[in-house]
Amino acid sequence: MTFAWKASGLTYNKYLSVAARVVRRSLKDDKRLAAERRGEMELRFAKWNNGKQGDNKSVADANAASMAEASTQSS
Amino acid sequence: MMLSRAARPALKAVAPLRTFATLREIEDRLKSIRNIEKITNTMKIVASTKLTRAQRAMHESRKYGQTSNTVFEQAETKPLEGDDKKTLIVVASSDKGLCGGIHSGLTKRVRKMLIEKPNADIVILGEKCKAQLSRSSAKNIQLSFAGIGKDIPTFADAQAIADQISLLPSDYGSIQIVYNKFINATSYEATPIEAFSEEAIVNSPNFAAFEIDDEVLSNLREYALSNALFWALAEGHACEQSARRNAMDNASKNAGDMITKYQILFNRTRQAVITGELVEIITGAAASEE
Repeated sequence: MTFAWKASGLTYNKYLSVAARVVRRSLKDDKRLAAERRGEMELRFAKWNNGKQGDNKSVADANAASMAEASTQSS
Repeated sequence: MMLSRAARPALKAVAPLRTFATLREIEDRLKSIRNIEKITNTMKIVASTKLTRAQRAMHESRKYGQTSNTVFEQAETKPLEGDDKKTLIVVASSDKGLCGGIHSGLTKRVRKMLIEKPNADIVILGEKCKAQLSRSSAKNIQLSFAGIGKDIPTFADAQAIADQISLLPSDYGSIQIVYNKFINATSYEATPIEAFSEEAIVNSPNFAAFEIDDEVLSNLREYALSNALFWALAEGHACEQSARRNAMDNASKNAGDMITKYQILFNRTRQAVITGELVEIITGAAASEE
């Protein structure tokens, strides 16, 4: 059995984070605020090539870009 | 300061302004040390409040990570042996300094591992270890992450990191996550935890008992990686806070010692200046009497 999210190019971790985000957003307001704080992520990352650091990019942006790419591929 | 004190008797006759200046200097010095003490003390208090929260998060995530590892313990998974497979070392440090030697402890451990496996790749979480490792082994670095350690690490952080790691082009035989293990409030140890590759999981002796489909295996591996990362980040964070508390405690104590020392020096110098002035006045008066 292949999963729909896998076919569209998501990794398991991305699938989990999307699912978790949906659950958090559907909570009641008071609980939601506390829960959404647990889902915050402000990481920046850089690829290194031959001992040189590349550009600093936001992980959230890169994830969104790769997800968008994956969805255009599947549709 | 000792030099100027010793030189004072000679200088006093020539330029009385100089003694005044040293007095001023000592006063300025005292003031700045007092300010530093205030700052370190505040940082200590902040770190202690954060520490209790970080420790709670650490205990929870440790339980979580250990539960996730139970699968591999039961399956008796072992890292793959063989030189053809590359090793990936993930270093879980953070962005912030002023917390004693916990970052350099990690760096030392990683360097030791690199001597054994010189072609291993490194992924670095946090600016501090990045700065240290980029000096010695920049060629091995594949990815670096920043923005870690502002607050208690979330599972979303760990997931995003695990995701980027699994997107790396090379196929790694074993992934070692090096983090600071929390032993007690004053001692930490840089320890690696193993995150297994798919092959290693398949080859584990008791693997058949779990009846896992081949297709979901890669999911398990990714999930286990982010679990392990989450554990390492949370425990490293708790260590950092506790190390910062200790470092700031020591800094405040040292500042206190210096304050008392300078206070005594200040009083003595002031006394000496007054005595000197008195001597001058009395000699002047005695001379003009005749």
